[in-house]
Amino acid sequence: MTRTRIAAILVAFALLALVPLVVTDSYVRHLFIIAFIYAVVASNWDLSLGYTGLFNFGHLTFFGVGVYTAAILAETVELSPWAAILCGGITAALAALLISAPVARLKGIYVVLVTFAFSQLAMQVVLSQSDITGGAEGIVRIPYLQVGDYRFIRDYNLAYYYTAFAMLCVSTVFLLAVVASPFGKSLRALRDNPDYAASRGISVARQRIMSLVLSAVFTGIAGGFYAIYLRVASPEVFGFGTLSLALSMVLIGGVGTIIGPVLAALFLTFLTEAMAGIRGLEDARFIVVALAMILVLRLAPGGSIEMLSRLRLGAGFRSRRETTDTAGNRS
Amino acid sequence: MTETLIATIVSGLLLGSLYALMASGLSLVWTTLGVFNFAHGALMTFGAFVAWTVAEAWGLGLLAGAVAGVGAAALAGVLIELLLVRPFYGHRNMLLITVMTTLAAMIILQNGAQVIWGARLKQLPPIVEGNVSIFGAVVSAHEALIIVIAPLVLLLLWWFASTTRTGRSLRAVGQNQDSAALIGIDVPRAFSLAFGLSAALAGLTGVLLGSIRFITPSLGAEPLVKAMIVVIFGGLGSLGASAGAAFVIGMLEAFLVLWLGLYWTPSILFLLLILVLVFRPNGLFGRANA
Repeated sequence: MTRTRIAAILVAFALLALVPLVVTDSYVRHLFIIAFIYAVVASNWDLSLGYTGLFNFGHLTFFGVGVYTAAILAETVELSPWAAILCGGITAALAALLISAPVARLKGIYVVLVTFAFSQLAMQVVLSQSDITGGAEGIVRIPYLQVGDYRFIRDYNLAYYYTAFAMLCVSTVFLLAVVASPFGKSLRALRDNPDYAASRGISVARQRIMSLVLSAVFTGIAGGFYAIYLRVASPEVFGFGTLSLALSMVLIGGVGTIIGPVLAALFLTFLTEAMAGIRGLEDARFIVVALAMILVLRLAPGGSIEMLSRLRLGAGFRSRRETTDTAGNRS
Repeated sequence: MTETLIATIVSGLLLGSLYALMASGLSLVWTTLGVFNFAHGALMTFGAFVAWTVAEAWGLGLLAGAVAGVGAAALAGVLIELLLVRPFYGHRNMLLITVMTTLAAMIILQNGAQVIWGARLKQLPPIVEGNVSIFGAVVSAHEALIIVIAPLVLLLLWWFASTTRTGRSLRAVGQNQDSAALIGIDVPRAFSLAFGLSAALAGLTGVLLGSIRFITPSLGAEPLVKAMIVVIFGGLGSLGASAGAAFVIGMLEAFLVLWLGLYWTPSILFLLLILVLVFRPNGLFGRANA
C-alpha cells in the first residue's frame, strides 16, 4: 500500500469521526451506523473471498450467527448486551471452524455449494427451532446498550454512531494488519499460485481454516451489534437479499483491497436506503444493485478502487486479463 | 403402520422426483458449460408465475399455461446465457464470475417477480383432480402423476443426451470445446441449447410444484438449496448420479421427517452433508477429478 493511499484512508476516517458534529439528524446517523456494520461484513468477507481466493458464499452465516447469539444471550439469558455482542464474535468463529472442516479440502464449485448450503441450512435451523430463535417472527425487544444510566439511543444515536465507528476502525486495522503480515502474504501466494505455495510448505487447509475463522470474528461482532442496535433478530439476515447486497459491496469496492468494500458499503447503503424511500422502488432496489454488480464484472472486474487508481496512474493500457489477475480470485 | 410406511415412501419419491428434475437441469448446464446456474430456482419460479398468468389470470387453461411457463423459462435461460455467461467464456475466473452473474440474475428474477406479480399467494390447479390409492395409502392424483412424469422426463433427457446427434454434441462440447469445434459442432449454439433445455426443466418443475405449493417470488429458493445438497452428495458430473442422489436425499428427508419430525430434519441433513464431505470431498458418487 502506498503512502498516499494510507494518508487518504486516514483522512477519510478522520472525516467520518467528525460527521456527527455536522450531521445531527438521527435518521442520517442511523444510515451511517448501518453502513459501518455492512462495511465490517464486506471487508471481512474480502479476507476470505479476495485475499485467500476462497469461493466462500456463506459469509453472511457468520453475521447471522452473531445476530442470533447476541439476541439470545441478551434477551433470553439476560447477559449484558456488551458481553452478548462479543460472544457473537466467538460463536461466529466457531461456526467458521465448523464449516472449514469440509471446505479446507474442497475445490472450486464445491466450495461455493457447501458454503452457500451452509447459510441456507443455518436459516432452516433458525426457522425450525422457534422455541429458542422465535422462528419466522424472530426475537424482538432485545435490551439496548447503555453505560451507567446513559442510554445509547439518546442524543440522536450519538453513542451508537461512535461505537459502530470504533468497531469499523478496529476491524479495518485488524484486517490491514492480517493482510500485511507474513500470514497474509501466504494467503495471497496460495491464491495466485496454489501449487507453488504448497511446494514451499504453505498448508492449503490450515491457511483456509485460519482465514475463514479470522474473517468470522469481526463479522460475528458486527452481527451482535446489529441485533443489539436494531433490537431485533430476524431470519432475513441469512437470505439472498442481504447476501447479494454484501457481495455487491465487495465486488463494486474491489476484490482483494479491504478498503474498497468499506467505501462501497458506505455508498451502497445510502443508495439503497434512498431508493427504499421512493415509492415503487422498494422491491426494485435490489434489482439495481444486481445490475450494478453485473456491470462492474463486465466493465471493471477490479472494482471501483482499481478503476480510480487506473485513472490516476494512467495505466489504462494494461490488458483486462492482467487487471483481473490483480483482483485475483481463484481457488 | 404399513400405511404410514407407504405414505412416507410416496412422499420420499415425490421429493426425490422434484429434486431430480432440478438437479438434472443444474447438472446439464454444469457438464456442458462448466457453469453453476444460481438462477435455476428463480427460473422455476418464473415458469410457475407465467403458467399461472396464462392459465388462471387469462383463463386459457392449464395446458396453455404449462406450455407458456416452460417456454418462458427456456427463453429466460437462453437470455441469461447470452447476456451474463457468454461474455466471460475463457476468462480465468469464469467459474466465480458466472456464479456471481447468475446470482445477480436470480436477484433480478426474484425481485422482478415481486414487482410484477406482487406478494399475494397464487396457486395453479392440479393437472388431475382427485386421489388415488397406492397399497392402501391415499395420495393426491397430481402427486402420483409427478412421481410418474419425473422419471419419464429424466429417461427422455438421458436418451436425448446419449443417443441423438444434438445431445451427443452437447456432451462433446462439455468434454473438449476445441475438439468439438474442430469436428464442426457449433459450440455457442450448444451452450444456448444446454441453458435453454435446463431452464425448460426448471420451468416444468415450477409448473408441477405450482399446484402443490403456493407460488411466491421465493418459491424456487428452497428447491434450489435442496438441489445443491443433491449435487454435493452426487457430484455434478453426470445425470445418472444427480438423479440417483436426488432420490436418496428425497427418501432420506421423508424418513427423517417421519422419525424426527420437521424440526430436526434440516439440521440432521446438514450434519450428514458435512460428514460426507469430510470423508468424500467429491461427493458420495463423485470421482476424484470432478
